Amino acid sequence: MRGSRRPVIVAVAVATAVAIAACSSSSSTSGTSSSSSSSSVKVTLTWWNNGNTQPLLGVWQSVAAAFHATHPNVTITVVPIQSDLFTTKMPIALKSDNPPDIFQQWGGGQEATQYTSGKLANLSSLSSGWISELGPAAAGWQVNGAQYGIPYDQHVVGFWYRKDLFAKAGITTPPATIAQLESDDAKLKAAGFTPIALGGGSRWPDAFFWEYFAVRLCSESVLQSSIKAVNMTAPCFSQATTDLTAFMGTNPFQGGFNATQAQTGAGSSAGLLANGKAAMELQGDWETSVVPALTSSTTILSDLGWFPFPQVPGGAGNPTAVLSGGDGFSCTTGASEPACDEFLQYIDSTGVQEELVSKANVGLPANSAAEAVLTNPALQAAAKAHAGAAYDAEYFDIAFPTTAGQALDNALADFFAGKGSNSTIINSVSSSSGH
Amino acid sequence: MARTQSARAAAAGRDIVSRPAAAGVPKSRAPRSRRRLRKAVELTVLIGPPVVLFVGFVIVPMIFAAWYSLYNWSGFGPLNDFIGGRNYTGVLSGPVFHQALEHNVIIAVLSVVIQLPISIGLALLLNRRVRGRTFLRLAVFAPFVLSEATTAVMWYELLQPGGPVDAVLKGVGLGGLVHYWLASTSLVLYTVFVVATWKYIGFGIVLLLAGLQGIPPELREAAAIDGATPWQATRAITLPLLAPTIRIWIFLSVIGSLQLFDLVWIMTLGGPANASTTMLTYQYINGVQRTQFGYGATVSVVLFAISLVFALAYQRYALRRDTAGALTRAVM
Amino acid sequence: MTALPARLGRPSPRRGAVRERRTWLSVPAGYLVILLVLAITLAPMLYMIVGGFSTTAQLNANPNALPHPWVWGNYAAIITSSIFWQAVYNSLLIAVVATGLAVALGSMAAFALSRYAFRGREAVYLLFVAGLLFPLNTAALPLFLLLQQVGLNDNRFGVALPEAAFSLPVTIVILRPFMRAIPGELEDAAIVDGATRLRFFLRILLPLSRPALITVGILAFVTSWNAYLLPLVVFSSQDHYTLPLAVASFQSTYTQDTARVYAFTAVSMIPALAIFIFAQRKLVGGLVGAIRG
Repeated sequence: MRGSRRPVIVAVAVATAVAIAACSSSSSTSGTSSSSSSSSVKVTLTWWNNGNTQPLLGVWQSVAAAFHATHPNVTITVVPIQSDLFTTKMPIALKSDNPPDIFQQWGGGQEATQYTSGKLANLSSLSSGWISELGPAAAGWQVNGAQYGIPYDQHVVGFWYRKDLFAKAGITTPPATIAQLESDDAKLKAAGFTPIALGGGSRWPDAFFWEYFAVRLCSESVLQSSIKAVNMTAPCFSQATTDLTAFMGTNPFQGGFNATQAQTGAGSSAGLLANGKAAMELQGDWETSVVPALTSSTTILSDLGWFPFPQVPGGAGNPTAVLSGGDGFSCTTGASEPACDEFLQYIDSTGVQEELVSKANVGLPANSAAEAVLTNPALQAAAKAHAGAAYDAEYFDIAFPTTAGQALDNALADFFAGKGSNSTIINSVSSSSGH
Repeated sequence: MARTQSARAAAAGRDIVSRPAAAGVPKSRAPRSRRRLRKAVELTVLIGPPVVLFVGFVIVPMIFAAWYSLYNWSGFGPLNDFIGGRNYTGVLSGPVFHQALEHNVIIAVLSVVIQLPISIGLALLLNRRVRGRTFLRLAVFAPFVLSEATTAVMWYELLQPGGPVDAVLKGVGLGGLVHYWLASTSLVLYTVFVVATWKYIGFGIVLLLAGLQGIPPELREAAAIDGATPWQATRAITLPLLAPTIRIWIFLSVIGSLQLFDLVWIMTLGGPANASTTMLTYQYINGVQRTQFGYGATVSVVLFAISLVFALAYQRYALRRDTAGALTRAVM
Repeated sequence: MTALPARLGRPSPRRGAVRERRTWLSVPAGYLVILLVLAITLAPMLYMIVGGFSTTAQLNANPNALPHPWVWGNYAAIITSSIFWQAVYNSLLIAVVATGLAVALGSMAAFALSRYAFRGREAVYLLFVAGLLFPLNTAALPLFLLLQQVGLNDNRFGVALPEAAFSLPVTIVILRPFMRAIPGELEDAAIVDGATRLRFFLRILLPLSRPALITVGILAFVTSWNAYLLPLVVFSSQDHYTLPLAVASFQSTYTQDTARVYAFTAVSMIPALAIFIFAQRKLVGGLVGAIRG
């Protein structure tokens, strides 16, 4: 058979290379790595992360190698898995006898659901010495007040816009209120552009709009308590639906937006922004890692600007609040917890954080000390808004328990497609609905 | 219609065995019990391994999965919230599930009404000794080899507003037919059907070609001698002889329609607003995404029950007649 | 109809000069139909193959145009990547084992179910049919746990064996009627000549069922080749990944390298198509020759 010898030879070569790389001190990261762990027992940690393509793939490999160099008794086996596959693999892995020692975590209600498997390691005491570096963000990764996950980056959602298209439509400053946004939309339409690209086919981008209206209209305490109680009957939520309906009435989105996916391919909403067919998109800071691949223009990143979600007059919400989330990792109970905790601490050290931001483009670092390394002005604006926010509102589908969060996304996507009403949205998070 | 002796024997529940040996031909007549033992051994050897493999890797997981349907379970943690039939009432009364079932049935019916004639026509065409026959068969079969995931990704790109499909339609002057193929709630299900047809025609062709192999060309020659037109010959001879294969095709096609998932999921996620939802996309959204694993298992059991009813009914009324390839008597 | 003809399986020579009247294929309409079918079938595939010569950025900027610089990088990167060849090897190994098992065991079961009479026969048949009716994706979790218990986790046989098992229903459903159609007279003759039932099965029935066997073989092979969920659930290490899983290596959290996915898929189809061509040639024959003479 043709390929029978070659893959073996190549596999051996690759394995040797990896082994050599893993045990040589080749990394130039100047991180504040902790002193060698107290145990001298040999430990191997299996690490499932979602960095399956470059540049993140390479960065994680070098991080693992650098850690091994300073902790020779700890070996990290990097297993990159495409992000979407975690939904299928994690429940199965957590049910098995040997789940991965470290795995990709998105926090919030999803983490709380996984916590019921009993296999997540409680890192509260181990991380108490250093977790304060991460500021309030780490709270979103707790379950019942205990630290079961640790973030390595943060995301904030805002409007990404094409400065060139704004200029062509005669818009000099980004809108600060919804009314201004609507009039800017009209100017953009007159100039022949789609004002806002929306990935309705992927469902979750729809949710950003409604959730931001809720964040602008609900006071912090009402919002936090509603999410905790999984109950959206407070009047500000219905007001959000009303305001959203009015906004949608101005037709700011591209035609056929219900089938447009967010990030995949030519017709995606990110693609429309990247190719100058649409002027704005409400998205997270990951936009800077998405759009370059979708266009042949090399100047796309400098063509993009960022502004926060506009104000809603009369809203009870804090005007600086932002919708946010992040990526992180959890350890499982079978792992060597001190080693796992030290590794996650290493990932959150300034040096590694800087590497993640500048080389791997993960967005905003969890450790704000690394923000100095951001060069893209749009990202800097996003970071500034995030740092200056009165509080972070986690995107609802992560904040809520998974069942409720997904039901909300679906109800909102249906609403955008013309099916359903305010009550289907409000009631979607109660357990017997949405079927 | 039992036309051969073997078929009649099978229908009557007897083994397809020889007639009593012709007189004078020596044959060791083993005692009845020995023959029965022999038969039992043969059956064990023949049926044993397949059944063991099948029960172990298919039936056992199936039973466990059905067991989960009695619980309220997220897939994580222990199975400790027994709720009996509550999942079932939830599924069976859910309007979205009804919609999904309706969509599956529509696709099943369309596949018989539209895909079947196309498959038969193509199989007949591809059975003739035309130049380049192998290439033609390959071309028609190739979409079947493509994985569902890639088919969906590819067609998603092709069907974008202003994308290649729209461009082709405009190019041949049919620009008026351009619609939002995936965004329109009234069209999306049929768009999915067209893509599924494109993909699965190859399967039908392969099956029908195999069926056509069993039909001797002399039959058509004989008909030609009798003055029949090719179409008459097809109608009177080929199609009836192909009927058993067609019946298998229908069976597999309906089951496949009921289980449609991958294509729909990647192209439309069952949307927009559940316009293209199928029972299995419904199951994935509720069972996996919403981590209601027990509920998802319930959907699978309900789907199984629906398919079983169809299978049993089909077995009884349609496939029973295929006790013969309906071949040999006609030749005699 | 007499005893077993000596030249079983070979077509008898054409008798006379009887020819069928000109078929409608020779009329332009027939050719037109074929061309239309070819266009519809092949155009999307060509789009994909050609797209592999483009870059994702180009495809996004202008999906209807031909690649503007034709880029060899995607195809080159794939053909030289170890991930690809490792995945081809895995896919091939698993597909061959799964297909072999499914066809062997399936034909044995179909033979018993079509030509023996025994109590519970229809129940056994229905048992196999039942497996067809239950979607794999719910059974995935319990199947995974089962595989873990028998130690087949992260093991290629842990995929091949279940795949063979799941292919049994389709195989049996297709083979059973074909096997039933083979006349009892052949079997009579074989037994008269002193053969056992099993020898009849191996020496006569199987060769006669060749078109059906090839068909179920192709179906089982393609099903295994494209299987996605089962390998996803069973394999944790990347070097066991099959081709459909390896495609995911071109999809990151946020974007999909569409051009590379197209190139990858175009190349991964080649083995399955090659098998089809090879098997296809053997599709002719079978029962036809047996009847004559």
